[in-house]
This record gives sequence, structure tokens and C-alpha cells, in this order.
Amino acid sequence: MPISIRPLHPRPDGLPFVGEVTGIDVSRPLTGDEVAAIEAGMDRHAVLVVRDQPLTDEQQCVFSRNFGELEVTLIGQMTRPEDRRLASIELGDISNLDPKGGLRARDDGRRMYALGNRLWHSDASFRAVGAGYSLLSARVVPGRGGNTEFADMRAAYDALDNATKAEIEDLVTEHSIAFSRAQLGFDNYGPGNEDKIRPVRHRLVRTHPVTGRKSLYLSAHIGGIIGWPVPEALGFIRDLTEHATQPDFVHAHVWRVNDLVIWDNRTTMHRARRYNDLRDVRDLRRTSIKGAGPTFAQVLAAAE
Amino acid sequence: MALTLHPLHPVFAAEVGGVDLTQPVAPETIAAIEAAAAVHAVLVFRDQRITDDQQLDFSRGFGALEETRGTGISKPGEQRLHPAFADVSNLDINNTILARDNRRRLYSLGNMLWHSDSSFKAVPAKYSLLSGRVVADRGGDTEFADMRAAYDALDDATKAEVEDLVCEHSLIYSRETLGFDDLTEAERATMRPVRQRLVRTHPASGSKSLYLASHIGKMIGWPVPEARAFIRDLTEHATQRRFVYAHHWRPFDLVLWDNRTTMHRVRRYDATQVRDMRRTTVAGTAETAAQDAAA
Repeated sequence: MPISIRPLHPRPDGLPFVGEVTGIDVSRPLTGDEVAAIEAGMDRHAVLVVRDQPLTDEQQCVFSRNFGELEVTLIGQMTRPEDRRLASIELGDISNLDPKGGLRARDDGRRMYALGNRLWHSDASFRAVGAGYSLLSARVVPGRGGNTEFADMRAAYDALDNATKAEIEDLVTEHSIAFSRAQLGFDNYGPGNEDKIRPVRHRLVRTHPVTGRKSLYLSAHIGGIIGWPVPEALGFIRDLTEHATQPDFVHAHVWRVNDLVIWDNRTTMHRARRYNDLRDVRDLRRTSIKGAGPTFAQVLAAAE
Repeated sequence: MALTLHPLHPVFAAEVGGVDLTQPVAPETIAAIEAAAAVHAVLVFRDQRITDDQQLDFSRGFGALEETRGTGISKPGEQRLHPAFADVSNLDINNTILARDNRRRLYSLGNMLWHSDSSFKAVPAKYSLLSGRVVADRGGDTEFADMRAAYDALDDATKAEVEDLVCEHSLIYSRETLGFDDLTEAERATMRPVRQRLVRTHPASGSKSLYLASHIGKMIGWPVPEARAFIRDLTEHATQRRFVYAHHWRPFDLVLWDNRTTMHRVRRYDATQVRDMRRTTVAGTAETAAQDAAA
């Protein structure tokens, strides 16, 4: 059965966002044509949902590598090996479980850190080269809540008026994990992690390398705009984020066990919604693909 | 002439006619306006070419006014207006437009965040009255959100969850949200957090509303990040478009709103042009929650 993709989020402008893929088993080696079909679907839909894909961690990593080199997760790098639940730091542990598999307590530091995922963001935008795709596999899902929402940053850019497009065209923002966590009052990173919260620069408007479509590169990790007073920058970024995440541009994914969702961080933001994490287990595992290049000449920034 | 009311939005907000605020307003008219505010929460009076004294007189009809001095960062001698006014302009004492990096300007950008006036005071505000003397050509709308409709639209589980929650409000929190932390120790001392219920009941109408504001930084008994994430979710719910009235200013509009049942915010405008808005604030009469004796 060949791969087929059905749009899940029809929009009045006719530009598709979010597709459901059928006719594929991602636990098996893929042909070049299958990989190409998925990449073409990603370029078009920005988010792809594949249902009923039971995966081991190893199978998830193997499938993900079809699309490039895997990122190492920041929290994995910041956490001592004995405090990690998953062996590989290429797997993001998107769960409410501690290393022994128990539910994390209400005031658990890792839980506090993870609450930052409820803010709209683009994965690894706090790195000089942000992530390309992320792939999230659902192993255990809660009875209620815990959706992941996606927002289409291409549609958000297209819908800006011309004056705003001109205003933002060459703006450069600063991103750090510390900025998003500070919004929620979290600042406990532990010793030795200072280098991992140092801000990096990105363009606010980026162009997709394949489709050439422009999109807003927004993220809760933004803490400033170069050349702007900080409160003015953050007020403006909030306005843009509100615009970019209005209901027309947002798709809510309701998780089923063995769903695999792939999204392009270069053209979307996402966030997790609340669920009863003190009672229900939610165990999702994420792999991310390294992006191909910086959105801003980092060399130039370093030379300043 | 009798008061007339024309709804401006499906959920709340009304335009009031039949009253001239340049003249003394009769007590029965004041009572009629109070009754209208209890229903509509936001009242718009058009073409009211009032002086500062006339604004003060009209405002005092609804109760004692808040003195704004001592809650902001302006010092005595730097203020353009009578101390009972909040100067919601981009002008300094010489009527010169504030520079881009001016401290008061950056501080005032906090008004772009949804808030309820004086929620950072133990006894928070009743009404605010904002007179548009010079309005922005483009942008600078004030948006209002109906916290009664927002409360009513919550599901029953959330209503039960929020019923007895108590929040801490401070100007420090809303300013930190925009990365503004350029405050002196003396200013911080005047901004000590106060406690407010998250669900409050209007004394006249009996309706319940969500008492939200960007001034919230903590919830009693909750870890801070969890409290802030929850407050963000509630704020997003409460400010969805169907609960929001956007007021586009004409010169000499006067807008009166009830801070007990609404939030508001200003939208971005061209800061190189004059925007001169003057606010009087009617003090509330009661706390919504017991204060922390140790604070």
C-alpha cells in the first residue's frame, strides 16, 4: 500500500497544515521513495500524524535518522546519568516519570522545568542551530488533557499586514532556555550549566530551505530583540505570538497510544496542554533532527 | 434628559448617551450609571470635552479616589497631572514625548499586558475612568475582557478547582514579565505582594468573575511555575475574542470600567506621536482575601 496523506486541518486559504499519513510501518527500514514522500509531506503540511506505530526506542531512533543527525537533548545534557530514566540522551523524556518509573512529586524540580513545555515554543531554538524535525511517540497517554497543539508559523507570517512584515523582516532575536523558564519563575539549572543558557541569535523571519516560504520564528525562549529595549521587545513578541497562535492557525492533537507525530520546528510552534500529571501517566518520547544551518550569522555575533 | 444605553458588544460594554460631563451630574444620574456599570461593566461616553477638574468631580460621584502617587515610579515634582490622576500618556512634565529607552515609558509598557487596575493593592480599585485627550492615529486601542463571561464559560471541574484559590499580586511580577527589573529598593518596598481571591463576587450584581491580572506571580499553596502556567491558561481562556471588546479611541471619549469584573490592556501604537490619556480611579471598599500578617 503506498503512502498517502490526508489533510487534517483544512483552512480557508487552501494551504494545508497537518496531515495524517497512512500506508506506512515506520518500525521497518524505509525505502528512499518512502523517505522522500514523508519529506514532501512535511514540506507541505509541516506536521504529520502517523497512527498505530508501536515503536521501541531503538526503532524510533533508526526511523528518525532517515531525516538527518539526531540532536542531543538539553535536559539530558544537564542531568546526571543516574537521574535519567531513558538510557540515550538522544531521546527526550517527555513524561511525568522519575528514573524508577514513579510519578514525579508536585514540587519536583524536573517537573517545574518541564512546565515550560506549556509555553508556545520551537524545539531547540535556544541553540545556534535550532532543530529541524521533531518526532514524538506516545507510549502512555493520560485519560484527559495533555494534548499537543501546533501553530502554523507560515500562515501566521502570511497573515501579517505589509507594514508589520516590513518592520520585522530583518529583526534578530535572542533565545535562551533561561528566558522561557524565567517566565514561569524557574531558574534552578544546577552548577556547571551556565554555558547551556547563554543566549543565541536567530532571525525573526526565516525562509524554509525547500519551499522558500517565509515563516515567523517565534518561541517562548525569546528574551529580546537586538537593538530594542527589552520590555518593548517582549511586549512586541507577545503580540506577535498571540497573532501567530490564534485559533485559525492552531491544530490540537489528541493523543492515542502509538501515535507518532512529526513536526518541522522551522515552520511551527507547539505546546503541551495541562493534564492531571499527579495522577495520570503520560509517557512520550521525542527525537529531534539537527537543523541544517543557523538563521543568523553566529560568527558575526561572536565577533562583536 | 434620560440616560440612554446602546450595547457595543454581544457580551458586555455599552455606549451611554444623554449626559454632559462638563456639567455637574445629578445623584440620580450617578445612580443610573452605577446600575448600568453593574450590568455592562464598560461604559463609553462620547464627545466629553472635560477639564481635569470636571473629570475629578464626576469620578468622585462614585466614591473616594485613589491617589496614584506611591504606587508607580514617578516621583513628586515629576508629575504632569494632579496626584489623583494616573498619567497614561507618553509625555513628561514638559509635555515632551518620552524617549524610546525612557524608564517610565518602559515601565508603562506593562499596560500592554491584560490587567485589572490596582489589583496589587490590598483593597483594589472599583472603577477606572479614562479620558482620551489626544488619541493615537493608528493603534492604541484599549481592549476589555469580561471576566464574568469568562468565569461562566469554565467547565464545572475548573470552577470547583478555582473557587477558593488565592493569588499574590504585585507590580513587580507584571514588570518582570516584560523583563523590566530596574526598580529601586524603595520602589520594591511599595510593591510588596498582596493577596486576592481568584474568584470574586460583585457586590451589586452578585455575579461571579475571574479576578485575573498580569500582576499575579504566585498562588498560595502552589509551586510557582505550576501556578503561572495555570494562570496563563486561564488568562488565555478569559481573553478569547468572544469576551473582548476593543475600544477604538476618538478624541474626548471617556470610558468607565469596573475593575471587579473586567481586565483591560492597551495595544501598541506609534510611540513617536502624542497619546494623552488621563485616568482617575475610584477606590474599592473591601479586600477580596485576608492578607498575610507576616508580609
